[in-house]
Amino acid sequence: MSEVVLAGVGKRYGPVTALDGVDLTVPAGALTAVLGPSGCGKTTLLRCLAGFERLDAGTIRVDGREVAGPGRHLPAHRRRIAVVPQEGALFPHLNVAANIGYGLDRAARRGDRVDEVLALVGLAGYGNRMPHQLSGGQQQRVAVARALAPRPSLVLLDEPFSALDAGLRAGLRHDIREALRADGATAVLVTHDQGEALSVADRVVVLRSGRVVQAASPSTLYREPADEWVAGFVGEAVLLPAVATGDTARTPLGTLPVVGAAHGPVTVLVRPEQLRLTPAPGGAGVTATVLRHDFHGHDALVALRLADGTRVTARIWDGADPAPVGTEVVVHVEGRARAWPAPSGPAPVDAPVLPVG
Amino acid sequence: MTTTTPEAGPARIGPARFGVRGSARRLAPRPALLAASTVAVAVALIPLVYLAVRTADAGAGRLGAQLWTGRVGLLAARSLGLAAVVTTACVVLGVAAAWLVTRTDLPGRRFFAVLAALPLAVPTYIAAFAWVSTVDHLEGFWPAALVLTLCSYPYVFLPVAATLKGADPAQEEVSRSLGRGGWRTFTDVTLRQIRPATAAGALLVALYVLADFGAVSILRTDTFTRAIFVAFDLGFDRTGALVLSSVLVVLTVLLLAGETATRRRGARYARLGGARRPAPRLRLGPARWPALAALLGVAALALGVPAVSLARRLASGVSRPGALAEVAAAAGNSLWLSLAGAALTMLLALPLGLLTARAPGPLATVLDRLAYLAHALPGVVVGLSLIFFGITVARPLYQTSWLLALAYATLFLPLAVGAVAGAAGQAPPGLEEVARSLGRGPLAVLRTVTLPLTLPGIGAGAALVFLTGMKELPATLLLRPTGTDTLATELWTATSVGAYAAAAPYAALLVAISALPTWWLAARGGLLDKEDR
Amino acid sequence: MPVPARRPLAAVAAAGLLSFGLVACGSGGDAGDPGKPGDKTITVYSGRNETLVKPLLDRFSEQTGITVKTRYATTAQLAAQLLEEGDKSPADAFFAQDAGALGAVAKRDMFAPLPAADLEKVPQNFRARTGTWVGVSARSRVLAYNADTVPAAELPRSVFELTDPKWKGKIGLAPTNASFQAFVTAIRVQHGDQKAKDFLAGLKANEPQIRDNNVKIVEDVDNGTIPVGLVNHYYLGEVAKERGTTPDGLKVRLHFFPGGDTGALVNVAGVGVLKRSAEDPDTKAFVDFLLNPESQRYFAEQTFEYPVVTGVAAPAGVPPLADLDTPDIDLNDLDTLDATIKMITESGLVP
Repeated sequence: MSEVVLAGVGKRYGPVTALDGVDLTVPAGALTAVLGPSGCGKTTLLRCLAGFERLDAGTIRVDGREVAGPGRHLPAHRRRIAVVPQEGALFPHLNVAANIGYGLDRAARRGDRVDEVLALVGLAGYGNRMPHQLSGGQQQRVAVARALAPRPSLVLLDEPFSALDAGLRAGLRHDIREALRADGATAVLVTHDQGEALSVADRVVVLRSGRVVQAASPSTLYREPADEWVAGFVGEAVLLPAVATGDTARTPLGTLPVVGAAHGPVTVLVRPEQLRLTPAPGGAGVTATVLRHDFHGHDALVALRLADGTRVTARIWDGADPAPVGTEVVVHVEGRARAWPAPSGPAPVDAPVLPVG
Repeated sequence: MTTTTPEAGPARIGPARFGVRGSARRLAPRPALLAASTVAVAVALIPLVYLAVRTADAGAGRLGAQLWTGRVGLLAARSLGLAAVVTTACVVLGVAAAWLVTRTDLPGRRFFAVLAALPLAVPTYIAAFAWVSTVDHLEGFWPAALVLTLCSYPYVFLPVAATLKGADPAQEEVSRSLGRGGWRTFTDVTLRQIRPATAAGALLVALYVLADFGAVSILRTDTFTRAIFVAFDLGFDRTGALVLSSVLVVLTVLLLAGETATRRRGARYARLGGARRPAPRLRLGPARWPALAALLGVAALALGVPAVSLARRLASGVSRPGALAEVAAAAGNSLWLSLAGAALTMLLALPLGLLTARAPGPLATVLDRLAYLAHALPGVVVGLSLIFFGITVARPLYQTSWLLALAYATLFLPLAVGAVAGAAGQAPPGLEEVARSLGRGPLAVLRTVTLPLTLPGIGAGAALVFLTGMKELPATLLLRPTGTDTLATELWTATSVGAYAAAAPYAALLVAISALPTWWLAARGGLLDKEDR
Repeated sequence: MPVPARRPLAAVAAAGLLSFGLVACGSGGDAGDPGKPGDKTITVYSGRNETLVKPLLDRFSEQTGITVKTRYATTAQLAAQLLEEGDKSPADAFFAQDAGALGAVAKRDMFAPLPAADLEKVPQNFRARTGTWVGVSARSRVLAYNADTVPAAELPRSVFELTDPKWKGKIGLAPTNASFQAFVTAIRVQHGDQKAKDFLAGLKANEPQIRDNNVKIVEDVDNGTIPVGLVNHYYLGEVAKERGTTPDGLKVRLHFFPGGDTGALVNVAGVGVLKRSAEDPDTKAFVDFLLNPESQRYFAEQTFEYPVVTGVAAPAGVPPLADLDTPDIDLNDLDTLDATIKMITESGLVP
């Protein structure tokens, strides 16, 4: 178990700045997700950690030992940082056992570590298979086992589930998180999938344009995003213009209690699941018209238009039939909203729908 | 030279992806690779430097007088015409044969896969000689085109067959699902898939035809190369011959420029992950009989005619080769010299091939093309240039096996570079990175990942260089260590005094030994695999 | 800066190149070594075929204990090689198929004058006036004809008759052959450039059968494909040898042009000694050996050539050299090869 600390890490490719002063601590024994949209620099961060790229600025320390910094570049093979690439990249000429034993010294290869990690990823008895005889998911499991086998200081996973189909993905990432935990490994998972990051990571680091925007536990990140962009990136967000007076804010959904006391114009965040719908007329709240249902099985998203024209989204859970399209409902907000002074950043253009899994 | 920061090299936009997929886009500077590639290209350019020196000796007046003539224009037209005809015929023959043995249910297709590759083992001078001994009054353009086609179509057949064997059938399936029939799918999808392999093979054929002397001299077709050889004979006029050779270089540049202009770049790495399905085989039905007859006919012309002719010569003459020991010594020398040549060629080709595969770009393209320049020069010119090089620069190497090996490298570098570039695709950089992240140092990664994955492809290149070296005569005559006879030189010695019966065993042995790497090349392309159904 | 970790292959390739260079330098010591005078080893560049002269060279080594390292290639290639090597050539002697090649090398001042004792054994017209090379065997230009298809009575009395339309398509030629070139030069010397030009034009107009070399012409005449061919006389012997018979057993016959006709030009194969070996006793022994009666007999018996040293019998089956009515031409006068080449090239007989 090792703690990894990045301080002021910078990396440029010609005119393009990929990493712009990244400060980051990867706690020992935990799985940290680096989350960000395409081109945010997360892969560069991983390559710098692995030692495939040289830093232009900053330092990287593993357990207090500097592996990269000004005038210092410990080559990849001396860092004890193992990677699991996107496609697994198993050595096609070696069987599963030899792939897993690749990072072990000769003595360890004869020991039971290979079988141990194979069992850990649920592939006990597959040692003699060749990579092309495995399914995509099995190949990824072997790639993880191969990275775990030499007990590296850090395991880097580069979107390891993105090439797999959705059903397989959920099960596999659960298994792999368990395997990492069981082995006590410190790991960094790079992903652009916020659902993946929130569901498996102990800690999520959001990266945008080469900078760390927020580093927090998944629940904090979801409930208390650092700004509107993060709010929209990590989940479905209802962002409303409001006027705050201390602990409350006046919003199109009524006056709500807010986190982040402020005065004056603000933007508030309400998560769709905070919205409760009751048939109109009745109860406290504002009236809205149902525009659309997006049914997801375990829940559904209901698009609503408020009286003033503002559109919001509510998540409903109960199995009861929702109000039909075109009818009026009363909207009530539970819990607190999050408020930021407005305008404070680019509003999410296309907030992704949260796949809850 | 040890600077490795990206700023030192060509600008690149954005980071490389981590895995195997996007690695081809990485243009990380590779100074050591670049330096080693430059050495390889420098070796390939020795003949050009020599030509420049000697044509400068000749003076502008002589150059003009000798080159601005209708005769030179006629020779150029005939050389290019022959190259065009032979290349076209080789593409048709090579692609058709490759398709028949890889994509149809042709009976005995694995046998035919070897049979179709074997003519590579027959030197053009043996084939041409066999043809003139078999058919009276055979001479001129078309017979030369026939013999050259029969001897060189495997240059197209082998890479195309290997590509067809490995190609993803999904594209063809999509095409058929979109309503394109079998033939349209073949022309619109399959031919495009094999286009790079076809173009590479066609380029080798075209350059081979430009440089060939054996067939055109025996079949009396006046091409540039024949004119160059004749110029050497006529009054021992070295300068005149070299001035003519410079035109051949110009023709080669034109050919290369044309090929480069039509070529699409982009490294192709092997697909990792996911199982590869074999393409479904087309049922030929009754069409199998004409197909079989065609393949048998080509084999009969390319292999049968030389075999029968050799046997007849052996039977009708009384001369016999020297003692068995002499034949064995010649075979041993051929083996050793060709092996040394292949080894040196591969050593030089390795960095260049890796450069073109791993850091494609204008620089790599230029270096790669430069390596082709000497490939179309007649062996005698390359031989003289290495005499010049040996005498003035590498005196200790002069008339040793090593200088001859260097000549082979100069002549055959393109054969090897292509193979290495293809092989590098079998070991994507992503795999090496993973290996290093698992704690293995650069040399260990080389030994345990890169070499095991690339050696088969590199071996295929070596096999091609080896068998081409076995057949090489003019440069061998000029550069071999004094007193060293090879199968090719013994063959020449015997045939030039008309001792054909004595020559026959050498010819047979030459073809037989060359057949082994040819067979291996066919096996390498997966042409001999039993399919699992 | 630490060694870049990502260049393994390049590093190995570079290391390989380096070690290759070392190996090459280590092993390359003696092969290119020109050798010292009197070290009982000589290097001979032989444009004469190995099959023909190796037994003779072996005999030389046996008798003298001098090792002969022989490079065999075509005479033209070896001449080009010698010119390229210049004074750094490892060769001690050049044993050439014809006088023209010797002249080309002599012209570059690369040969040392031979001892008078050797020169005097050979008639003046068969050696260099400057004494830089000497002929060791002679061959006559002849018209080879097929006895079945060409009656002896119809044979031309002069080579110039071959431009007559009645020979259209019937003449075999090897215009790239050095002997043919010497023959054309001889026409120019004897009859002037215009006659030579007309002759070549006449030949060309008669649509001759062009062959790569004389052996192929003799073979084709023998099997009737070509009625007649201009060749050197001794190729008949070579073809007979391969057929396991004597020249008499072939269909092909030789016609020596009578009356001092240029068509009966006698040319020589000869030897020159490179300047650096001027004082080498081993090389001198080699030249002596080629001109001794035993070797001269070898040429007559084994290669069907004429000896050049008086007192040695001519090969069987051909008239003795003395009985031939050869044209009165000194080989030394055939040194204007450039003009001949130009003429042959312009005639269209060669590419």
